[in-house]
Amino acid sequence: MTTPVTMPDVTTTPARIPVLDQATIAGPVHPRPGGRVPGGVRAGLRAAGLVAAKDLRLESRTHDAVGTVGLFALLILVTASFALPTGGPDRAGIAAGTLWMAILFASLLGIGRTQALESEEGCLDALLLAPVAREYLFLGKLAASLLFTVAVEMALVPVLLLLMQVPVGSGLALLLAALGLGTLGLVGSGCLFAVIAVRTRMRQALLPALVMPVAVPLMIASVQATGAALTGATVGANMHWLALLVGFDAMVLLVAVLAFPQLVEE
Amino acid sequence: MAGTETLAAKRFAPAGLLRWRRPLGLAAAAGMAALAVTALLLVAPDAVQGPPQRIFYIHVPSAWVGFLALAVVFVASVRYLVTGDPRHDDLASASAGLGVLFTTGVLLTGPLWARPVWGAYWVWDPRLTSFFVLWLVYLSYLALRRQVTDPVRRARYSAVLGVLGFLDVPIVYMSVNWWRGMHPEQVVITADGPRMPAAMLATLLLGLAAFTLFYLYLLAIRLGLARARRLAWATDATAADMEGTR
Repeated sequence: MTTPVTMPDVTTTPARIPVLDQATIAGPVHPRPGGRVPGGVRAGLRAAGLVAAKDLRLESRTHDAVGTVGLFALLILVTASFALPTGGPDRAGIAAGTLWMAILFASLLGIGRTQALESEEGCLDALLLAPVAREYLFLGKLAASLLFTVAVEMALVPVLLLLMQVPVGSGLALLLAALGLGTLGLVGSGCLFAVIAVRTRMRQALLPALVMPVAVPLMIASVQATGAALTGATVGANMHWLALLVGFDAMVLLVAVLAFPQLVEE
Repeated sequence: MAGTETLAAKRFAPAGLLRWRRPLGLAAAAGMAALAVTALLLVAPDAVQGPPQRIFYIHVPSAWVGFLALAVVFVASVRYLVTGDPRHDDLASASAGLGVLFTTGVLLTGPLWARPVWGAYWVWDPRLTSFFVLWLVYLSYLALRRQVTDPVRRARYSAVLGVLGFLDVPIVYMSVNWWRGMHPEQVVITADGPRMPAAMLATLLLGLAAFTLFYLYLLAIRLGLARARRLAWATDATAADMEGTR
């Protein structure tokens, strides 16, 4: 039954490079994700909840993403308060910058770790077998990583306010808004690129190189809004930064949700 | 959904560039030579800025081609994600390398002009910073491509970064604009027409044309290269499949 196949002879150099027909030049279409998966929104959200719950249970037993990463973030703050001129007139700006550097590195470390765990034992392959649209798996991972990062921030911010001697007072609402929106965009892009990074030769080590250039506007807006909050500025005076964060978040989450099914497709 | 359907029937317009490679190369060489003579010898130097102003004639065309290249990456990436046609990935990868090349040119020629005119090589001005960030994004695009060996994964991953990186450009620009605000205003496209002498404008247009031709010439070469690489990989993979060794 086997049809004989003629392979191109590569041992001798042809006098002229053969003219390829269009089919050969184009090659096969790359495989693409299949059609809609049954299950609907309700089943999808349930699956997202289960994925997040699985990550939380894992965390309750290992304390990696909040415990160890939180310690790392705290050490960045402490090191920065020795390394930078704190207590001077620019203290609010320095405190805001330090806080966001700590959040950036800590969240990248934590997200890289949780995504690596996912692929180590073939867990993601098993998850992909679930009869739900794959976007929901991403939402589950995102929810868990968001919770971890917010938990780390809740420890980080009071320590920062103490160490850098910045009163927050009337800027509290702005501070919370900047932290919330900034964290959403950062963790969103982190989760998106972690799926990619974990399948590269360098593994999670590539994650910062992918996230940090794209996240430049997010860092600028977050640091500016946080710095303003630490000098007691209100939300109203900093609407433009918050609007920019909302725009960035919307862009990242939209691209992530649309692209995720393709990224995990084998 | 498997990779069995062939693309033979679908037209891929950029492939036409390959046929025009040689004329494009000759036209680009002629344009560059004409630009060098005009910009360095024929057109009068700026009354205030003096000779450094001549950098303008390569700086602005480089910036234009840099943006053009990155817009091509964006469009090709979107089309790849929608169709799964690997030829769009060839185009995106071919154009991304050129985008980095020309944006690097912008970042090198800018400071050479800025030092005598502004008194500093670099300032954190919105347009400079945006270009710098753009350059970083596409460096990470190239880094990502080098890090993924499987061609299907490489195409998908880099397409996502290509899309996100381009959508990020206006957000970067706004953020930096509100953060710091020194680059000369636009002088060509304004409400009351170009604000520069006709000879300068003509030289600039010559520069834009020469650089665009140069880009298209390089793009044709890189497109052919990307295609050859992909086909070589596919042939290897097929051979391995047939021997049952993969």
